[in-house]
Amino acid sequence: MAKIEVRGLSKRYGGSPFALTDASFTYEGSGAIGYLGPNGAGKTTTLKLLTGLLRPSGGSALINGVDVQRDRKHALADVGAVIETPEPYPTLTVQEAIQMVSEFRGGPVADFAPLVRDLHEKLDLPPFSARTGRLSKGQRQRVVIAGSLVRDPHVIILDEPTSGLDPKERILIRNLLVDLKRDHLILMSSHLMQEVTEICDQVIFINDGKILLRDSVDRIGELFRTRSVEVEFSSPVLIDKITAIGGLVKGARVVGERRFRIDFDGTTSARAELLQQLVKLGPVISYTSGTLALEDAYLALMGAREPSGASAN
Amino acid sequence: MSSAELPTDVQHWWTATRYQLRFYLRTWRFLGLLLFFLIVGGAATGVEIYLNANGGSAAAFLASGLGNLGIFGIIIAAFIGGDAIAMDFGSGTGYYMLVLPVRRPAILLGRFAAAFATGLCLVGVYYVISIFGAVYFWGFAGLPWLALGESFLLAVLYGAAVLSTAFFFSSLFRSPAVSIVLTILILFLGFLIVDGVVGADLGYEPWFSVLYAGGVIGLVLVGQPHYLASTSHVGGRVITTHVWNPYIWEGTVIMLAYFVVFLLLSGVIYQFKESKG
Repeated sequence: MAKIEVRGLSKRYGGSPFALTDASFTYEGSGAIGYLGPNGAGKTTTLKLLTGLLRPSGGSALINGVDVQRDRKHALADVGAVIETPEPYPTLTVQEAIQMVSEFRGGPVADFAPLVRDLHEKLDLPPFSARTGRLSKGQRQRVVIAGSLVRDPHVIILDEPTSGLDPKERILIRNLLVDLKRDHLILMSSHLMQEVTEICDQVIFINDGKILLRDSVDRIGELFRTRSVEVEFSSPVLIDKITAIGGLVKGARVVGERRFRIDFDGTTSARAELLQQLVKLGPVISYTSGTLALEDAYLALMGAREPSGASAN
Repeated sequence: MSSAELPTDVQHWWTATRYQLRFYLRTWRFLGLLLFFLIVGGAATGVEIYLNANGGSAAAFLASGLGNLGIFGIIIAAFIGGDAIAMDFGSGTGYYMLVLPVRRPAILLGRFAAAFATGLCLVGVYYVISIFGAVYFWGFAGLPWLALGESFLLAVLYGAAVLSTAFFFSSLFRSPAVSIVLTILILFLGFLIVDGVVGADLGYEPWFSVLYAGGVIGLVLVGQPHYLASTSHVGGRVITTHVWNPYIWEGTVIMLAYFVVFLLLSGVIYQFKESKG
């Protein structure tokens, strides 16, 4: 069974402050874990430690029970990883770049033709005869992801896999990951809350090298209730009438023609009551959460917003 | 996929060699070097034929051309091996290769084998051109084939030695371009200057220099004294110039030492180098 285990992992670059301090987590089985934090938080450092690209200053990282530092070859036997911006040898063709990975993992690509065909279709890969050095960034990224998935590793480690991709490419990757997480264990860092919400079941928040919170996406949603809604009326409504809704509305602003963002305390009952009051002001044609729960959690944990009843562990 | 299915380190080495060789043989730098050797070798032989400069003997004719391989070998090694390790830490190649379940020494030795084979192609071209000129003047039967074979073997060893050195310099830098340029500067200019100052001016044998050792490639064809000194009078001053030629065994030992020591050092640095960028 696929397993990622991080035990008191720390990393310090020279004399600078710790980039990662005493990080610990364990995930087993299948599913997708989002690794969230601002730039420089320690996300990529953790992923590099997990793939043996860095040596830890303390603690250990194990994949499927094998210590990455002690036996990198066997620890990474069942791992597909995309860290930073990988570049295959530029004069190799797409097929050769993928085939090379397959051979390093234990067999010619022909044995895995169905999987490669499947990846080619799902990732809309460029022609197999194209040289990787001549591909666009997005095409190369998709080839690299295909390479990481060839021979079907059960642990997948991705560092901002959709960074720099266009919306169509992002959707391709997202759909693939949603499909894969059913029987693979995926650990992915990302800046995109929408993406993490759609793909991941669990999230880890990290900042300044320290893990601040880790929990399921559902539980985070409960802890960090969405505390704003967006409402759209079919006819003009004065904002003063909205702010005048006594006791419920903590603030309101215009975000578009006949559209407003309204801050409230985030409780389900208040949300329902607010809708009732808004309907009295005019015909409501849309009433949605103003921000994602993960975004609220992110902002609260990173200090940009006060949490509402959440506790970090 | 389990770790039991993983190929052995030797299989990994072979995979690394094959794909690295494909990479090298398709690069512009390989084609550029091939063109360079065809032009330089072809032009030199063409001029010798035009001037009817047969060198006095087949061995001397060959030695004069093949003696240049000391410098040419450094150029080949720098261009082919100068970024062999730096490419993993200065470009994204490392993020593609080093996350695979492969031991780093297998990748390093695969790259070395590929770079060595690529360099050998270029050296081979130069030998073929030189032999062509020698055959033109002296015929097949007139060539010292045994000595020529020894010269080629020494050239192969020299290639391994300078490539090892280039790999070592490559392990010290992160930028592939900087690595190539500095390898050329250090190996080419550095050794030329040091050999000149230490050997010719100060009169000490530059036994520590791989460029000096590479002289055996030509010397095995035509023997030269190990040491010669000449004096000249310039403006009332007596200037002594020293000329050193390595013994064949001596050059062989120096080249072997370079090959082993620098390849080992490269391996150790590569094993422990981190992808911090």
